[in-house]
Amino acid sequence: MATKLLNENIAQQVRDFFDQLQEPVQVLFFGKKEGCDYCADTLQLIEEVVSLSDKLELSVNDLDLDADLARRYNVDKAPALVLAGRDGDQIFDFGVRYAGIPAGHEFSSLIHDLVLVSGRDSGLSQPTRGFLKGLTSPVRLQVFVTPT
Amino acid sequence: MLLAHQMALESPWIEAESIEAMEFPDLSERFNVSGVPQTTINDGAATVVGAVPEEYLLAEIRRVMGKPK
Repeated sequence: MATKLLNENIAQQVRDFFDQLQEPVQVLFFGKKEGCDYCADTLQLIEEVVSLSDKLELSVNDLDLDADLARRYNVDKAPALVLAGRDGDQIFDFGVRYAGIPAGHEFSSLIHDLVLVSGRDSGLSQPTRGFLKGLTSPVRLQVFVTPT
Repeated sequence: MLLAHQMALESPWIEAESIEAMEFPDLSERFNVSGVPQTTINDGAATVVGAVPEEYLLAEIRRVMGKPK
């Protein structure tokens, strides 16, 4: 077993935070064989995170070998993570995605997003919810971030 | 947690992707990413730089959606 990316102290903090998890969350990982500097680390990181709660489940996919699945989730980068809802065999895609390793500040975002998706409640203000309910065409938000 | 992800969770029409800028330099260059976070709406229809309040991002989405196609 390779060295863990999360030390026991961090793992315990995340475990405690995961007490807030409600509904099951399905995480879909997409990697690729060639030319992906961060695929291995991202996979190890998400494996360690998912192992901290039995409400989290991970499926490991390949951008090229599982091209149909990647297309279904609009995933065109590796490494990528999709945080989806799960109810038995059913997966609900909420459109929540990560491209690249969620390290540093993004690690905190990931942990919070897992709880958010699990709660199935955006926490947004009523006016915002009202406007978003009226949408009738796709909106694509791409948020560029850096680890620190 | 990410505001864009909250919005994605709220609406089936919204897809929100958090992108590690340094791992995808071509895309960062395409959208002229200079500071982070930077949010690009509908492939460059609008750009929001910095961590902005909910109302601000919403106003930008509203502006983009109001544009004639």
